[in-house]
Amino acid sequence: MIEANNLQKSFKLYHQPSDRLKEILLRRPFHNRHHALQDVSFRVENGETLGIIGRNGAGKSTLLKILNGVLLPDTGSLHSSGKVTGLLELGTGFDMSMNGEKNIYTNGLLIGMSREELDARHDDIIAFSELGKFINEPLRTYSSGMVMRLAFSIAIHANPDIFLVDEALSVGDGHFQQKCMRKIREFRANGGSIIFVSHDLNAVKMLCDRVIVLSDGKVAKDSDPETAANFYYQILGNEEVSEEDTVVERGYGNHHAEITSVTAMGETSQCEILASGDTLLLTISITAWEDIPDLTAGLTLRDRFGQDIFGTNTHFMEKPLSMSRGDEIVVRFHVPMMVAPGKYTVSIALHEGADHTRICYHWWDNAARFEVSGIRGTHFIGVCQLNPSVEFLAPPEVTNDTAQQS
Amino acid sequence: MNPALLLHFVRQDLVDRHAASALGALWTLLIPLANILIFTLVFSRLMGARLEMMGMQSLGTYSYSVYLVTGLLAWTCFANTVTRIGQVFHEKAGLIGKVKISLFALPLYVLISELIVYAISMSFFVGFLLLIDFQWSWHWLWLPVVLAVQQLLAYSLGLMVAVLSVFLRDIRELVTLAVQFWFWLTPIVYVMTILPESWIWLFKLNPLFHTTAALRQVMIVGTTPDWQALVAITLLGLGLLVASLFVGKKLERDIRDFL
Repeated sequence: MIEANNLQKSFKLYHQPSDRLKEILLRRPFHNRHHALQDVSFRVENGETLGIIGRNGAGKSTLLKILNGVLLPDTGSLHSSGKVTGLLELGTGFDMSMNGEKNIYTNGLLIGMSREELDARHDDIIAFSELGKFINEPLRTYSSGMVMRLAFSIAIHANPDIFLVDEALSVGDGHFQQKCMRKIREFRANGGSIIFVSHDLNAVKMLCDRVIVLSDGKVAKDSDPETAANFYYQILGNEEVSEEDTVVERGYGNHHAEITSVTAMGETSQCEILASGDTLLLTISITAWEDIPDLTAGLTLRDRFGQDIFGTNTHFMEKPLSMSRGDEIVVRFHVPMMVAPGKYTVSIALHEGADHTRICYHWWDNAARFEVSGIRGTHFIGVCQLNPSVEFLAPPEVTNDTAQQS
Repeated sequence: MNPALLLHFVRQDLVDRHAASALGALWTLLIPLANILIFTLVFSRLMGARLEMMGMQSLGTYSYSVYLVTGLLAWTCFANTVTRIGQVFHEKAGLIGKVKISLFALPLYVLISELIVYAISMSFFVGFLLLIDFQWSWHWLWLPVVLAVQQLLAYSLGLMVAVLSVFLRDIRELVTLAVQFWFWLTPIVYVMTILPESWIWLFKLNPLFHTTAALRQVMIVGTTPDWQALVAITLLGLGLLVASLFVGKKLERDIRDFL
């Protein structure tokens, strides 16, 4: 169990550390204040996992450091029922010139294990790290992956009562990550509390019983993972608008018809960040400057590598469109986003017929962008969700015929 | 702090530091040994006459060497403890920012490590004394007491320096300078009798004057040290320790924020 009550932390920003002394001597302030955490309270029971999500600078790291005892809160209190260890201190004190074996002791002692505990778990740590005979080689001969594996193995065998897990977990190859995850689940099943800080909403949803969204150092939401994740998308969306205002040349074409604005947002999330499985609403405003009897509005979605993921238009969809000079209309595409998490851009085109090769009125690359973050519904891997189904059949009866044939 | 961790730091300081060199931990022994040899051999024939006036006539050729090394080893221990503890937060900033560690117990490893170096040096020195047929005495048992008094002062002072040094980096250079001045203001290489009589009281304000004198009393002259001075210095050390801890606790939040 770990309980935080009204944690408050502000950093006094000094131009130089000596200003702090000046302040004491002259008794007037020489700093700017930065509120990193304001009134943060929560309680994590034994066997419970609390997720903490939030943008960069929302106060996640500060909170972790306070939980871990490295920073002291200004006000507020912290009670925990036992030893708190985290991945924060992964590989702390590693000496590159010493061998793996020695470093297990260095790091282990630093994260609060006793010599007896280390002696007892020493073999498990080495086995878990899969370093084999490399354990007797100096760390400088290791690949960075091997160093990480050793660090993880030690941290994971520290057997704390409360485990602080952060982004660091997502390092290492898939096989090793899975092992870590299994170990963490095991830890939880044995009654340990976990505080999991991450940007990876999938992992958060999979692992956590409850999630806190931190925003500007405050607890903006404390709820079940799904609600918290949606809330998080929203604050992300609100804050990101200003950054996206820049860019975008407005394309080419004969401008007989023009795209005046394009917005992309998730139907559920109501912002540019949506979960896979949500529907993308792509709203396009068009103004015609000439009479256009046969107008096609089309879209192409591209992933971050610029690959075409999907494209369609009103011609393919058999929704004919015609406009007269001066007309303004709004076209809205509903696109179920059965695609993998990632960043996408949208290109919009106005042309005649099936494609833009005959007459192109207006072609606008990167007219909008959106991000798919996290997966709603069934988990999948790869670039798109094919919505498979599965059934279990009885094994085929082996008849004498087939038996003889084989 | 976990004793095992403390021990680990000491070990790291004395042994692991030399892990990359061929002679390894042997360096921890070799350097003090070399120092003692240099001082005893080089100075064996210098300044001997002065000492006879102070009741140390029986030392013969090596009288000055013995006088010098007794004071110098203790001084080195003191000075290293103060300067190194003074920088301990900077040196271990990486750890302090990562794992929960007591700021006020952490410097203990420097204290212990320096004491071990002193003990090693001292055993070489005692070996040397026995070799030159120096008259040993039960008063030698006072040595740990005097040293404890001296090191209490060193720890308290170092802790204060360490706390301030987080906020003012110049402290490091300042302390290096101050320690040099202090060295020459303490009768370590010279004898008290060269000081003008009217200045002696001023020199007696220096706590190290008394600890050094006490060390020579017990080691060379073979008498009981001036316990009043030692008690006074102990009280001074304790007072300073309380002050350092008080200031340190007050500023602990800032220290952790800055590191």
